[in-house]
Amino acid sequence: MVVQRNLSVLALHPEDSFQEYLAIFFKVPRFTRLTPLAGVFDFVATGVPGPRDMLMVGKIAHEERRREGDGEPIWDLIVVDATSSGQILPQLTAARSMRRLVRGGMLRSQVDFVDAMVTNHRKTALCICALAEEMAVAEALELHDEVVEDTDIGLGLCFLNRCVPPVSAPRQRRLVELLADPATARVAAPVLGEGIDGLLAGIRLADDLNRLAQPFARRLSTRMSVPVVPVPLVAARPGLATTRAIAVALEAAG
Amino acid sequence: MRKAPDELVRAARGRRLVEVLGGLDVVICCGSGGVGKTTVSAALAAALASTADRRVMVLTIDPARRLASALGMTGIGADPVTVSASRLRQAGLPLRGELVAAMLDQKSVWDRMVERYAPNRHVAERILDNRFYQGISDSFVGSHEYAALEALYELHEEGEYDCLIVDTPPSRSAIDFLEAPERISDFVGARLLSWLAHPSRVGFHAMNFAAAPLLHIADRLLGGEVLGELGDFVGDLQTLYEGVQRRARVVGRLLRSPRVGFVIVTTLEPAAFAEAEHFAAKLRELAMPLRGVVVNRVLPGFLADEAAIRAADVLADDHRGAQALSRAIGASVDGPAAVALGRSYRLFFELAQREARQLARLERIADVAAVQVPLITAPVSALEGLVQVAAAL
Repeated sequence: MVVQRNLSVLALHPEDSFQEYLAIFFKVPRFTRLTPLAGVFDFVATGVPGPRDMLMVGKIAHEERRREGDGEPIWDLIVVDATSSGQILPQLTAARSMRRLVRGGMLRSQVDFVDAMVTNHRKTALCICALAEEMAVAEALELHDEVVEDTDIGLGLCFLNRCVPPVSAPRQRRLVELLADPATARVAAPVLGEGIDGLLAGIRLADDLNRLAQPFARRLSTRMSVPVVPVPLVAARPGLATTRAIAVALEAAG
Repeated sequence: MRKAPDELVRAARGRRLVEVLGGLDVVICCGSGGVGKTTVSAALAAALASTADRRVMVLTIDPARRLASALGMTGIGADPVTVSASRLRQAGLPLRGELVAAMLDQKSVWDRMVERYAPNRHVAERILDNRFYQGISDSFVGSHEYAALEALYELHEEGEYDCLIVDTPPSRSAIDFLEAPERISDFVGARLLSWLAHPSRVGFHAMNFAAAPLLHIADRLLGGEVLGELGDFVGDLQTLYEGVQRRARVVGRLLRSPRVGFVIVTTLEPAAFAEAEHFAAKLRELAMPLRGVVVNRVLPGFLADEAAIRAADVLADDHRGAQALSRAIGASVDGPAAVALGRSYRLFFELAQREARQLARLERIADVAAVQVPLITAPVSALEGLVQVAAAL
């Protein structure tokens, strides 16, 4: 589905991917779902451990290989919102696992192709998303180390999401100290109203959360072999507004 | 700034979660990734072990191994490990019972399942040695959910623990977990797959018309040699069918029994909350008992201060606020600093407003015990954090 010029979205469903696969390679029409074999096809796509993962990553490889009539790729870039960090490696290495099981037939060359795409650093990069919290950072580093040590998959960037903007610059601190003084707060009331205490409480919370995150952010930056890109915390309404706000922040981060 | 436990507790529906869950045999915690599910599972187990003299096991089936961190331990393996009562007491949570933690070892669960249901030792060994079996039980994502249910059932049957707390994978996988009893019996019993394996067996001819295209596809896909090997494997696997199907029915009943309760863990982030709603609907559809909702990392209520947001808006008003403030207090106020502070408050005010809207929708999830766990804003150790969460439950 095209959401704006040069940007399309697609949700991956193993059942649909399997139907598409059968249609492309075996000319099995979609109406096969109405036949007694439909149950088998759905079962293979969703019920058997392994094929389901292959269908997910295989569909991505198929999209990567699709070409326009003039031979140009249909997509310049495919961004995959993948599964959680604890499950992503079995999915990305499904083709390699399958290679160990399948020695011949058409599937062998297909899993080779998928594995080659996943492990080609010029084509595929795994980006790790984390939060500046103890467990999230430990999980991100665990995934990072597994990718580096146990796979041929290339790493792209690490995104550190929901970063609370700092409010601890000297001039900011000075203003907070000024407003925290009851005498100053009294004379500031005609300008700022009665909400100075609440305002300061909120700013202190932001400062606390920022400080709380710092050691984890530092740990991530120190241990990651790829750049860590901070993504600011945004409060926009869910949907396109949030997506745009994050896109703007990423663009600003270069 | 450490908060007292009574300050932390804000039970939305009157009863503390530990009271609601106290008499259950199995509590299954589920929710989307990054909501603190593992911490809540561990905290719930600790809270249950602290309120009565009972043996509580917390079992993680999440492939990401975070349970050990949540419990302040260096590692947890497949063998149950007793969590140090003295360390928990030092962190502020004295136990009356015993708290044990373990992680799912899916390979050994699969192996035991084969050994239990194979008609004889010879068949069991043939399956265990088969490379397809090894691929399924070791490598692929979906095999984890299959093994998890079996492990849960084994532990429940052994009866060594008064209560089992299960930390599941993120919710989409947790739905696979719920559907695993049906899928696992499908997996070993898929009749059409058996025709792949033994096309000459009785039954094949009757369905020849239906199965022929499948065989043709399988032959082209896998090649004759692998197809034959796969056929032998499927044939062996199907000897497990009766036992596995029987077990799947029992496990399915267990998940729907009044001795079991599901707890959805969520934050008020829109995506996580939407997943929680989806999961609750799925539980209703599967007739599985949802007992509670834990809303984790809730922002403090003071952020919804209308007077404070008016002050923040003045500061954030592009340096004019700073100029007016400078005049009022008779000291220079830095413009960019004032704007940054005003925007910082506005960000949290808007987040708090968004959370309030989500909280108003909480009843749409289900009419069950709902507990809000405040966001931890001070540096604490993992165990201290766990104790704070346990206090809220």
